[in-house]
Amino acid sequence: MTKMENVAIADQVDESSHPSTFMSKYVWSQDHKVIAIQYSITAILVGLVALVLSGIMRLQLGFPNEFSFIDPSSYLQFVTMHGMIMVIYLLTALLLGGFGNYLIPLMVGARDMVFPYLNMLSYWTYLLSVVVLLASFFVSGGPTGAGWTLYPPQAILSGTPGADAGILLMLVSLAIFIVAFTMGGLNYVTTILQARTKGMTLMRMPLTLWGIFVATILGLLAFPALLVSAIMMIFDKVIGTSFFMPAILSLGETLDHSGGSPILFQHLFWFFGHPEVYIVALPAFGMVSDVISIHARKNIFGYRMMVWAIIAIGGLSFVVWAHHMYVSGMNPYFGFFFATTTLIIAIPTALKVYNWLLTLWRGNIHLTVPMLFAIGFIFTFTHGGLTGLMLGNVIIDLPLSDTFFVVAHFHMVMGVSPIMVLFAAIYHWFPLLTGRFLNNKLGHFHFWGTFLGTYAIYMPMHYLGFLGVPRRYYAMGDTDFIPQSAQTLNAGITVSAIIVGLVQLVFIANVIWSTFKGKKSGRNPWKATSLEWQTAQFPPGHGNWGEKLPQVYRWAYDYSVPNVKDDFIPQNVAPKDVEYLADKQNNNPRQK
Amino acid sequence: MHILKTLRVKPWLPAELEPQASLPSALFNKEKAASTALQFFLAVITVIFLLFTITFLQRTQSFDFQALSGEPWLPFTNADILWQNSAYLVLASISIMVAKKFAEQRILYAIIISLTATTLFTLLFINGQVQVWQQLNQSGFYITTNPANSYYFLLTGVHALHIIGGVLVLMRCIWLFAFSLSYPQLTSRLILCTRYWHYLLFIWLFLFFLLTSDADTFKTIALICGF
Repeated sequence: MTKMENVAIADQVDESSHPSTFMSKYVWSQDHKVIAIQYSITAILVGLVALVLSGIMRLQLGFPNEFSFIDPSSYLQFVTMHGMIMVIYLLTALLLGGFGNYLIPLMVGARDMVFPYLNMLSYWTYLLSVVVLLASFFVSGGPTGAGWTLYPPQAILSGTPGADAGILLMLVSLAIFIVAFTMGGLNYVTTILQARTKGMTLMRMPLTLWGIFVATILGLLAFPALLVSAIMMIFDKVIGTSFFMPAILSLGETLDHSGGSPILFQHLFWFFGHPEVYIVALPAFGMVSDVISIHARKNIFGYRMMVWAIIAIGGLSFVVWAHHMYVSGMNPYFGFFFATTTLIIAIPTALKVYNWLLTLWRGNIHLTVPMLFAIGFIFTFTHGGLTGLMLGNVIIDLPLSDTFFVVAHFHMVMGVSPIMVLFAAIYHWFPLLTGRFLNNKLGHFHFWGTFLGTYAIYMPMHYLGFLGVPRRYYAMGDTDFIPQSAQTLNAGITVSAIIVGLVQLVFIANVIWSTFKGKKSGRNPWKATSLEWQTAQFPPGHGNWGEKLPQVYRWAYDYSVPNVKDDFIPQNVAPKDVEYLADKQNNNPRQK
Repeated sequence: MHILKTLRVKPWLPAELEPQASLPSALFNKEKAASTALQFFLAVITVIFLLFTITFLQRTQSFDFQALSGEPWLPFTNADILWQNSAYLVLASISIMVAKKFAEQRILYAIIISLTATTLFTLLFINGQVQVWQQLNQSGFYITTNPANSYYFLLTGVHALHIIGGVLVLMRCIWLFAFSLSYPQLTSRLILCTRYWHYLLFIWLFLFFLLTSDADTFKTIALICGF
């Protein structure tokens, strides 16, 4: 074996060719920052489609029979596409493809991802998956209406909306997405493990990176379960195998399937589906930690515990999946096991919540828009998490399963909470992308509209769940146990949802306006310590670091350091270069 | 344990302020990075086949499962053709290892011969697998007639796709070597290819054992696994 050649990272030659044409710079770009923006724009656009779909669903629920274009089939199709787009094509893509791509090389002090070409392929493959998914709106029968969980046998049987081309396009799109994610994911983990600059030890990494790192590993190990189930279901649908399909009498006709297990699909799906919650949540946990620390001018409370908690949550997320299947039936000992692991995962999660609060405690809190969203996240996540503890118990889950209580729970914990962090992150890192702030007044309006609006949507929804109002129903009909007041509440929720949807348009307008006309931010406007704000060129240019890569001397949380001139010390400032207040210089413990 | 030691570090203490010059992170090595990426990719492949295997083992205990060997009329009671295919893949693995050795010694003609052999043996393996599928179909063991057949086609198909992917990567590597790659670069790429070939050989041998087991073996495995 030949001896591998090691190159000191500070002297690493910038091999990435500098793009000169419009196409190579903005379209077929291999620059991680451009790819991140491509990912983000695509994810947000497809997310807007999902937002509109949710609005249409709410119109039907709030004002049944008022809108002729919503029939029972299309209602189910909108529910399905809304769920799948939001979870996979928006949240996963935006958090890892968008923020992961932008922040990893900058935060570890690298010039780019380790495999830029693969990174570019990852985006274009992701775009292909989105196109295939959206194509299902235009095929005969429309998109699948099987629910985002795509449970067989109904997902592929006639009678379910989109059971012909729709479900196939969905499964193929998911398979393509997983290929895209694997290409991106290999880049993220390898860049973090192998391309950190000198001095950037793992335990000096900002928590954003830890969140993205562990979430990517989860994705690499969990998405195969979705791929496997998608392939097997395609076989069942197209070729006629019976992996998931039992013997079925459908519409008076005996089908050719026999012996397959629909429950097997559920196990595979949730073996992916539950880690998916943390694939979304862990990067959000990391980013919110950094936003809170920076805007409270205080080091994150319990950094080591935060890292350990991220790892523990990541590990535990693989042994809780069957809590989504209590109603499907299982050995009672399994139910006990999965309820126990579900409750155990609350320990590291609660630890994180306490640490965020203790970071805020006696901090110099700046109520900037990113900070407002971060604090809003603590509220929404705590509420969503607490209802998760309730549903983790078999005895509580059984009566509440398939009611709006579950819808309210997972939207609070997995919808609203990561979205709050995404907004915090966008407001926080927008100056890094553009050199400009997002408009502050519009930002405040956006925050309060979103925060109060989502509570107006989901708090009453918990109550509807307690009443027993079932989810996925097109209309309630004449149901004795659901009082008329529930309908009034549903109408109120719909009005709130429409308002929250419109508030997001204000945000989009703010992004577009501020990109060109926003107030200039100057370098490092939030006085942050992490490397992404310390680039030679601001906003960072191609290759990120000019001639020499930065050298890291400390962790990312040196805020409000006593006796230091600037109240913070960036990671790349050597101890000898720290400027101290003149009369206190000899008393500083960090100099000893 | 190195990782536990890493996670116990207290980065906020003054003693941690100096950058540790000896850190591996201070050095960037593309080959090492590619090796790390390959390890994760192999982990992804492992999870895929592991999950397929678990579903398969569960299905072996269903009433309609008919193993593909054990009785004289079953196709893999005599699995000669599969042994032949396995031999092709073993030879491919050996020849790519040899190619790597020759790349280290920079013997061009030997590299060409051994890589040609690798490609040939790998394609012979694929061809052999296709022949098995055709024979199964001709004997009435269609993909839909029995879950064992379905899994046979599915698992060998997914494995073949991974092999074809490997061949494409090897072709690209040879193409680049013809025009721009140096010997050390070729060697480092062949190290990764060799690891990939060996791993897919290991997976094939595992699948071979799994898919050609008889009903009694499945019963024993299921008993051990608790299915």
